[in-house]
Amino acid sequence: MKILRAGAAVAATAAFTLGLAACSSGGSGDATGGSSESSGSGGNTLTVWAWDPTFNIYAMQEAEKVYQQDHPDFKLDIQEMTWDDIQTKMTTIAQAQQYDQLPDIFLVQNNAFQKNAINYPDLFAPLTDSGIDFTEFPAGVAAYSTIDGVNYGVPFDSGTAVNAMRTDILSQAGYTIDDFTDVSWDDYITMGKDILDKTGYPLLSGQAGSSDMIMMMLQSAGASLFDDQGNPTIVDNAALEASINVYSEMVKDGIFTEVNSWDEYINSLVNGNVASTINGIWISGSLQSATDQSGDWAVTDLPALSGIDGATHYSANGGSSWAISSNADYALASDFLKSTFAGSTDLYDTILPGAGAVANWLPAGDSTVYSQPVDFFGGQAIYADVLKFAAQVPSNNTGVYYYEARDAVSAAITKIMGGEDMQTALQEAQDTVEFAMS
Amino acid sequence: MTSAQVFRGLREVPKYAFLTIVAAVSIGPLYFMAVSATNTSNDVLASRMLPGSSLIQNWQTLLGQQDVYAAMYHSTVNAVATTVLALVVSSIAGYGFEVYHSRNKDRLMWVLMLAMMIPFAATMIPLFRLFANFGLINSVWAVVLPAIATPLLILMFRQSARSFPHEIIEAARMDGLGELSIFFRMFVPTMRPTYAAAAVITFMAAWNNFLWPKVILVNADYQTMPMLISNFTGGYVIDYGALMLAVLIASLPTIVIFFVLQRSFVAGFTGVVK
Amino acid sequence: MTTPAALTELGDTKKSMKRPKGPSPKLSPAARRRSLTGWAFLLPAAALIGIMMFWPMFQALILSFKTGRGTNLAFADPLWFNYTRMLHDEVFIQTIKTTMLYLVIQVPIMLISALVLANILNNPRLRFKGFWRTAIFLPAAISLVSYSLVFRTIFATDGLVNDWLLALHLIDGPVNWLGQPGTARMVIILGLLWRWTGYNMIFYLAGLQNIDPTTIEAAKIDGAGPLRTFFSVTIPQLKPMILLTVIMSINGTLQMFDESFNLTQGGPANTSMTMSHYLYKVSFQNNPNFGYGAALSYVILIMVAILAAIQMKVGDKRD
Repeated sequence: MKILRAGAAVAATAAFTLGLAACSSGGSGDATGGSSESSGSGGNTLTVWAWDPTFNIYAMQEAEKVYQQDHPDFKLDIQEMTWDDIQTKMTTIAQAQQYDQLPDIFLVQNNAFQKNAINYPDLFAPLTDSGIDFTEFPAGVAAYSTIDGVNYGVPFDSGTAVNAMRTDILSQAGYTIDDFTDVSWDDYITMGKDILDKTGYPLLSGQAGSSDMIMMMLQSAGASLFDDQGNPTIVDNAALEASINVYSEMVKDGIFTEVNSWDEYINSLVNGNVASTINGIWISGSLQSATDQSGDWAVTDLPALSGIDGATHYSANGGSSWAISSNADYALASDFLKSTFAGSTDLYDTILPGAGAVANWLPAGDSTVYSQPVDFFGGQAIYADVLKFAAQVPSNNTGVYYYEARDAVSAAITKIMGGEDMQTALQEAQDTVEFAMS
Repeated sequence: MTSAQVFRGLREVPKYAFLTIVAAVSIGPLYFMAVSATNTSNDVLASRMLPGSSLIQNWQTLLGQQDVYAAMYHSTVNAVATTVLALVVSSIAGYGFEVYHSRNKDRLMWVLMLAMMIPFAATMIPLFRLFANFGLINSVWAVVLPAIATPLLILMFRQSARSFPHEIIEAARMDGLGELSIFFRMFVPTMRPTYAAAAVITFMAAWNNFLWPKVILVNADYQTMPMLISNFTGGYVIDYGALMLAVLIASLPTIVIFFVLQRSFVAGFTGVVK
Repeated sequence: MTTPAALTELGDTKKSMKRPKGPSPKLSPAARRRSLTGWAFLLPAAALIGIMMFWPMFQALILSFKTGRGTNLAFADPLWFNYTRMLHDEVFIQTIKTTMLYLVIQVPIMLISALVLANILNNPRLRFKGFWRTAIFLPAAISLVSYSLVFRTIFATDGLVNDWLLALHLIDGPVNWLGQPGTARMVIILGLLWRWTGYNMIFYLAGLQNIDPTTIEAAKIDGAGPLRTFFSVTIPQLKPMILLTVIMSINGTLQMFDESFNLTQGGPANTSMTMSHYLYKVSFQNNPNFGYGAALSYVILIMVAILAAIQMKVGDKRD
């Protein structure tokens, strides 16, 4: 009896809370603390979420200046938060159905775009009526933020992959950057071993347990972890197996040094422990922090997988797009994006040298800024080259379960490197993804 | 010094050696943190163990990218408000549980204990919705309210109330003091060490709280120090010297609070154990 | 590990029930009023816990019977679908094993070290007591985000630990601490030990200071050696405190999130991931499956409650 009474006390407290909550929400449907701030009080302020002060936030600030030329009252309230935080906040807000807490514009990782747009259809505003011409973006890049033919994002940072190499180390072993241009992974490994023997430098470094490298190889062949119906294709995936084979061979031969963390990876580049790196072009920012290596770097395309249909020398890693939230001042936000990231050569001319932000917006590539030589890369006009690569990157079918599949493949790679049979490990990965989808 | 004393001194050597090793292991990582705050990013990555000359440079980098003052201010307001309110609410509850003890209150205590056994990630969304309904997103209240009443603190005060002599309460009642006055005038002053101990624990937890503030403080203008540190690691290029400086600055208040309160802290627990 | 100090309590409810202060069948008006005052004193805290913890817990319980992604949630058929689903979840089963491994290895080492250290520091003749105490406690004052960063840097392949072990010729080449399942788990355990041993030591120190020194002197006079005294006089008197720290540690370890999330990201191949980390992943990083996440959290709740109850039974036996 007494236990019952104690329970009743708790229940009463809960009921009291329930009542409070119900009253409060019933009383004023949209009573919130932060909505006035996030949706822009004066009608000419936009709130933006982004994560890198030296990169995408810097780009946004420049975009603000560009737009202010025609709209002097316009202002941005740019809030810095990591991608992880943006994802957590988006999920919490959408799950709690408090969309009025969203900012006007936020930056979304390309790989996560489909997942969020499909799970939370009320999160993003469709850009159909925005007047933005999406044909001015590479189809493969715009595809990340396109769901059922509707565009939800303006591509910002492409993540176009480059093979950046230390020409001074290559020449010690008697090679030039041209020897690594338009080659196959087989040739790449042969030369890599030679360079390792002659100079002691491994070609590559990367995070152990990360599947970035494999995913870049996979995308370069236009392959993915899912078929068109969205079913996982981790087993019997020739491109994936070829990629894993190349990767494990490189690690075993010592051409690829596995490190633990992102910090260590950057460290290996900055401290000159490796002869090259393959990653999204945004890595040039980190490379250029090693001022003592200025002039020693050059950029070329990626090796291609041998014997795989559709293999190319082009891929991408990372990349992000600007999305307009369902809570936004849509007219202002869409006009802002249309006039800046999807319409201003001036903007891209500023942020390219300022932050190494390579445009996805194709008309920007005609600008002379892109053909300027870059001293750090030995006078090579790397950005013009990167734009050429970008146009040829095969589209990557990310799908809703991309993160689950990528994690599962990462785990499989760790197991394969640890000696487990490849077929078994991939089957386990496939099972894990199928379980997650069930 | 007699030979017996020397002998005893020698016997103590292993003990001090052991303590020195333990203390070195404890402080080592903290030393690395402090030293790194004065080194360049590349030196940090290369595990340089000597102080460098980049402290001012790191400070400028940090200030250039992050509003440290605002984050320190918000962290301080949140942690102090949480600590003060938690001590009041939880101590009065702990006192109530013990001094007006009954079996039903015991059972209620048991039920309340269950609340700390569930992972926070599971209750985060409903809690967010609750605060949204109250219109409290981005407010200090949203950070403070869930941390005020914790089963941990209530139990701690309940235990220390056990060592509080009931004769004092009876005598005070005879003198015509009200129940609340007895609590504030008799109990609170006597239990100062327990309050000190509870303050250290609560302040530490509130200051370092990360997941909930980052979700409920939607507007980044209200960000706290742990959020600032996390943001600092979000970019493609990270300055590790400045990052370590931020980590050091974020750790100072909890260290200072411990230094200030540690004597009472140890003594305070003594009351709890009884 | 943000958790409970005073579970000692739970061990000795009996003691408190024996006291004549409980409600008697017939209450005088004054006693009635006081009983009401007592409830009034509890009300703010109980209401806050009810609103801030039990209400969301109740919501989570309902959620655990629903399936669907994102906001498309519907009651499952059968209702306990999420609870049976986890029986086939290889990753979750792995996280249970990993979490139990942390529990079984780390908690005893941590508590025994804390006990030994507290015993040494409790010696009245010890010099620089404040310094030792502060030094050993200090790691607990550092935020989790910060300590994960520091540990990651120290245990990097070209980090301090490898540098030193190489210099001492204890290893031939750098060890990839965070990249191998065994060593990654070891680093997490070391991190936990580093951070929480001093914290628990403070609890024991407090307990030791409460022990009447004459009981220890008496044991010495009876001819008991220091070890014997420690085990037969000190330990029994510390029991409420030991029980408290054990239950705190069980709760903290079974709900452990930050170390797994920040230090190793659960890797390699999910081998260092804890249950709470997986729960977070299921809810926030993967396709949000909040129904399943809520079910996982209730399983964790039940595991904590059972282990805590067993501890209390065992710990309470001799009283």
